[in-house]
Amino acid sequence: MVEIGLAFNLLLEGIVFFGIYVIFTLSLNFQYGYTGIFNLGLYLPILAGALVVGYLPGRLAMMIYGVKGLDYVTDNSSIMVLLKGRLQNDPLTSIGILIVTLIVAFTVCWLLGYVTGYPALKLPADYMALFMLCLAESLRIIGMQTMEIAGGPFGITTLNPFWWLGSLAYFGLMALIIGFTAMICLVYYVICRSPFGRLMKSIRENGLTAECVGKDVASIKRKVMALSFGVLGIGGVMHGLNLGVVIAYGYTRVDFSYWPWLMLVVGGSGNNLGVFLGTLALVLMRQIMINGKPIFQPFLPFDMLWLEPLLLAIMLMVTLVLRPQGIVPEKPSHVKAPNSEGGNLQSQKQPA
Amino acid sequence: MIIPSAVILSMVISSFLLSLLAMGFTLQYITMSVPNLAYGTMAFFSAYITVTVVVLGYSPYVAVPFAFVLGSIASFLLYKFIAFLRDRGMPVIGLMLSTLVFDLAIYALMNIYAELIPHYLHAYIGAFNLMESDFEIAGIPGILIVSAATTSMLVLLFQLILTKTKFGIAMRAVMESHSLAIVHGVNTELVLSVSWFFVGGIAGISGSLYPIWFYVDPWAGATMFISIFAACVVGGLRSIYGSLLGGFLIAVSQNLISFTLASVFGPALWAYSSIWSILIAALVVLKMPEGISGFITSRK
Repeated sequence: MVEIGLAFNLLLEGIVFFGIYVIFTLSLNFQYGYTGIFNLGLYLPILAGALVVGYLPGRLAMMIYGVKGLDYVTDNSSIMVLLKGRLQNDPLTSIGILIVTLIVAFTVCWLLGYVTGYPALKLPADYMALFMLCLAESLRIIGMQTMEIAGGPFGITTLNPFWWLGSLAYFGLMALIIGFTAMICLVYYVICRSPFGRLMKSIRENGLTAECVGKDVASIKRKVMALSFGVLGIGGVMHGLNLGVVIAYGYTRVDFSYWPWLMLVVGGSGNNLGVFLGTLALVLMRQIMINGKPIFQPFLPFDMLWLEPLLLAIMLMVTLVLRPQGIVPEKPSHVKAPNSEGGNLQSQKQPA
Repeated sequence: MIIPSAVILSMVISSFLLSLLAMGFTLQYITMSVPNLAYGTMAFFSAYITVTVVVLGYSPYVAVPFAFVLGSIASFLLYKFIAFLRDRGMPVIGLMLSTLVFDLAIYALMNIYAELIPHYLHAYIGAFNLMESDFEIAGIPGILIVSAATTSMLVLLFQLILTKTKFGIAMRAVMESHSLAIVHGVNTELVLSVSWFFVGGIAGISGSLYPIWFYVDPWAGATMFISIFAACVVGGLRSIYGSLLGGFLIAVSQNLISFTLASVFGPALWAYSSIWSILIAALVVLKMPEGISGFITSRK
């Protein structure tokens, strides 16, 4: 019975992890797969979202309940015990704080995407990727060194907005993450199937041609960056809430930029099915490694954790050599265009 | 405000090392049109050779030739991998992602090595600084003399190769136009292999000298990559000498800004020094997208 319960917990944990990474990879696909924006600094908005969840909800709750005389960072654990006691009986405030946190995280990351887009999009694609990587690493340094934001190198505990559910608090959080993942999938699906989605693809294929027919390519790219950054920020919030702690040091380029990129490369960019499959394959691999650690660790003279980037490298190499287009290559898109005899619409295939 | 000698020394040493690193990065970029994401990690893996040599009781400078060989081999292998994928028709973005393979693998190996050393040599090398094992001549630290001499010699050597040898002319031809160089009968494969081998060696040397003055941990490559990239952007994306200049400018401004802010707001601000470089790079991109070298060229 205990084993079944453990397996069930592992499964749920895997689903949540999958959900969070689907948010990351879909956003990456939105940027790169659909618009051709080559961004290696994916963890910039993710970390920004996580820092918001580390900074804001606890302080907000302290303000609401009039908790004074304690420092949010240094007295973090005592404050959390205090707030848990209050929020356990106050679902309305809990949900309110959650909504405010999500709105603030989305807005901050949206602005981050829009503002960074100005210098970044002036660079050639490859240098833009590096620029974003450096910006993300800079934010990580800020997060690691600034105690006031989210505890600096020691990190900070986040509150669970579902404490009022008692022993079901974690399940409430899981439902929230899964619900948000589904909603984000739907939003991306609708946008990608809309005329704006086709415009994004046209920019990806040939930005100059799009500009020649009067489209403001730079502005569209900035909008895409802003929206996907906002969504990635939400992903960062979900990640922070799921872990229950935010430590800026942990938001590395390997975990939050290279992993989503590998998921995209393995699955195949430019289509959402490929993204799902790539994410699933890598999440499974990672879960196996995490759960297999107690079995294999005694045989290794170093932490098994370091095999993860090594395996990631091998997997990336194998994919690039054997199947560079990914598991599910992008299909040609279908567009409706007027036929030569009149106003009737007919379906035409357009090369991807 | 008087700048302490330690800050001036840091500024000068980091100027030399950063310029060398920026020059190598730009050279790899120009020859293949593929930014090497593994560059920082590849360079700083050599720092672990230096610390091993010091733990074994030797001078840190003994590590330099080994670092050159290690960096060269890693860079050469990376070039072969990129060339293999390029010949199969992979676009630049795919090639750039392929450099991640080396970045991840070297990062993993570096951490594994850092964990194995305490087992076998009984020394903790997670984060380290080897300043105490350096020599001094009339109060001048050895690293200042060595970094200045190494950078000057390598730049001079590089200049001589580029302008006075047939190989250098072939190299310049490949940098200008890869396909045109092939048409003119240049053995581009050989030129690129040797270039990447040489550049990898330069990166290895820079990485091996770095811990003699500065702190290094497994993330040093990633952190330093910010400054390397900023130097390349400030100097000019496709100019070797521009990147040298960019390296000096970034190192000087980074140290001066950090020192000024630390004097006003407290020493904790030293920890943010890498950030100033990327901010400077962002400003330069907005005002001079082609960097200083592009700006100078356009004014002529």
